This record gives sequence, C-alpha cells and structure tokens, in this order.
Amino acid sequence: MALGGFNLDLFVSPVLPHSLKHLNIMSNQKDLKTEGKKAPEVHISSYKDHFNTLLALLLLTFITVAISVFGANLRSLSVFTALLIATVKVIVVAYYFMHLKYDKKLYTWLLIIVVILFVSFTVLTSIEYLNR
Amino acid sequence: MEHVSGFSLPNSGHNRDAEASKMGMWLFLFTEILLFGGLFIVYMVYRSLNPEAFLMASFELNVWMGTTNTVVLLVSSMTIAMSITAIQKGNRKLSIQLMVLTLVAAVIFMVVKYFEWSAKIEHGLFPGQAVYDNLPPGESLFFFLYFFMTGLHVFHIIIGSVVIGFAIHRTAKGRTTKEKYTLTENAGLLWHLVDLIWIYLFPLFYLIH
Repeated sequence: MALGGFNLDLFVSPVLPHSLKHLNIMSNQKDLKTEGKKAPEVHISSYKDHFNTLLALLLLTFITVAISVFGANLRSLSVFTALLIATVKVIVVAYYFMHLKYDKKLYTWLLIIVVILFVSFTVLTSIEYLNR
Repeated sequence: MEHVSGFSLPNSGHNRDAEASKMGMWLFLFTEILLFGGLFIVYMVYRSLNPEAFLMASFELNVWMGTTNTVVLLVSSMTIAMSITAIQKGNRKLSIQLMVLTLVAAVIFMVVKYFEWSAKIEHGLFPGQAVYDNLPPGESLFFFLYFFMTGLHVFHIIIGSVVIGFAIHRTAKGRTTKEKYTLTENAGLLWHLVDLIWIYLFPLFYLIH
C-alpha cells in the first residue's frame, strides 16, 4: 500500500503540476482577454445627447454676449455673471462631453480636488493684498 | 503562434490598459489647468490694479470675432465627442469624418484669430510696436496678456489638432477599433480642455465692458 502510494505519487506528481499549470494559463489568459476588452457596460453617449449639450452651451454663450453687449447698465453685474455662466459652461462640458457623468467617480473627485486646491491657494495668497 | 501572443504576463510590456491611459491624460490636463490658472491669477491682479485701463483696452477687441470663435470651438467639441460615440458603435468611417470636421473647425478658429491678430498688429498694438510702447501702462499690460494667453491657447489648438491627426491616421489604418479607442478618447479630452480654457478667456478679454 505504502509502496503503491509512493508509486502513485511518483506517477501523478509530474503530471499534476503540468496540467495545473496549463489550467492556470488557460484561466489567466481568459482573464486577460476579458480585461483587455472594454467592459461591456461602457456607457455610449448618444449623438442626440451631444447635440443637446451643444444647444445648451450655445444658449449660455448667447446669454453672456447679450448681457455684455446690450446690458451696459448692468456693468458691475456683467463681469460676475460672465464668469458665473462660463463656470456653468465648463461644468457642462466636463460632465457631458468629457464623460465625467458616466466615468468612474474618481476622475470627478480628482478634478474637484484640483479646483479646490487652486482656488484656496489663490485666496490664501491674496489675503494680505486684499486686506490693504 | 496565436496561443503564444495571446498569453501576456502583467507588466510584460504587451498589455494595454485603457483606464491607466485615460488617467494619464487627466493628470496632464490637471497640469494644464494649473498652467492657465496661474496666468488667470496674473490677469486678475493686473486688472484689479488697472480697472479703467483694462476696460478701455477691451473695447479694442472685436466681440463678434470672439463670439464666432466661441461657437466654432463649441461645435468642434461636439463633433469630437460624437466621433468617440461613432467609434464605440464601430462606425470607423463616421468617426474619421467627425474628427476631420473637428480639424476644419480648428482651421476656422485659427483663420479668425489670424484676422484678429493682424488687425491689432496693423494698429501697432503688438508688444514692441510704436503704438503699444506709448500706451498707458495698464492698457499695454492688457494687450501683452491678450497676446500671450490667446497665443498660448492657439498653440494648444495646434497641438490638439496634431493629436487628432494621429487619431484619424490610426483609425484609418484600422488600429483604432470598437474595442480599442483610447487615443480617440484622449484626443477628445485634450480638445475639450482647449475648449474649456477658451470658455474663460472669451469673457475675460472680450466681454468685461
């Protein structure tokens, strides 16, 4: 029995690792293949969505120009509104055209962190100047 | 042969990672935001020091040319976004056509810019010219920043166009496909950033009346 077992071991062991290894490669290969391909649930924005985004952006542009050209009496307001509308446009472009809405949230958060850092450094370094 | 090439170890140099490529592009875009952000701070400081001069100088710029270019860039942002949709749906031909349209928009933008700049240069407003040298200090600052920032922006338009050109080439060669369209996607991201910068440049220089 012991001898038989020993024989059996000898017989099986050279084969087993090989076949296991082979199995490993096969499963590994499958993994790599599915990983290499785009995951099937990738969101594809429709042409219509892109067109609607453009219409929204054009409308916002029209409003900014109209305020600036025809709203001369709103002078102090116009700079602020122009920048506010520009920011809305930027968010629309980033959210829809740059696909942030459907991508991993990591990208959105990184962008928000960069903007917060930039704005806070700007404000912090201008405190002294603004307080004069 | 098929079997051997299909098997690739992680980090063997043969694997492709679309997500990492996109992350790389985003990190680059962040550095771009900081680059132009710094220039916007310069603009804000100079403007707060010379509010009247900046106002007077801004009347020299042609709002309608600026508006035209804004519309052109927004349309081009849509066409490049649509070209990604097209390649995702496997329509290579439409994807290429939409990218070519984006390049046409880039050329229109630069032609308008050329006429704008030449009008300013004819008036002697380019740094170093006679009229520019005799401007009040605040107004010359405005024109210096105008040429510097729109110039840097046009430089980005050129770089973006070259990247889109590569994307067109690879799609035409069949190397960009329904499954592998990272280059098109990244070219799109870069192009949208160029658009984003213009969205701020336009009101700051043309619309501050």
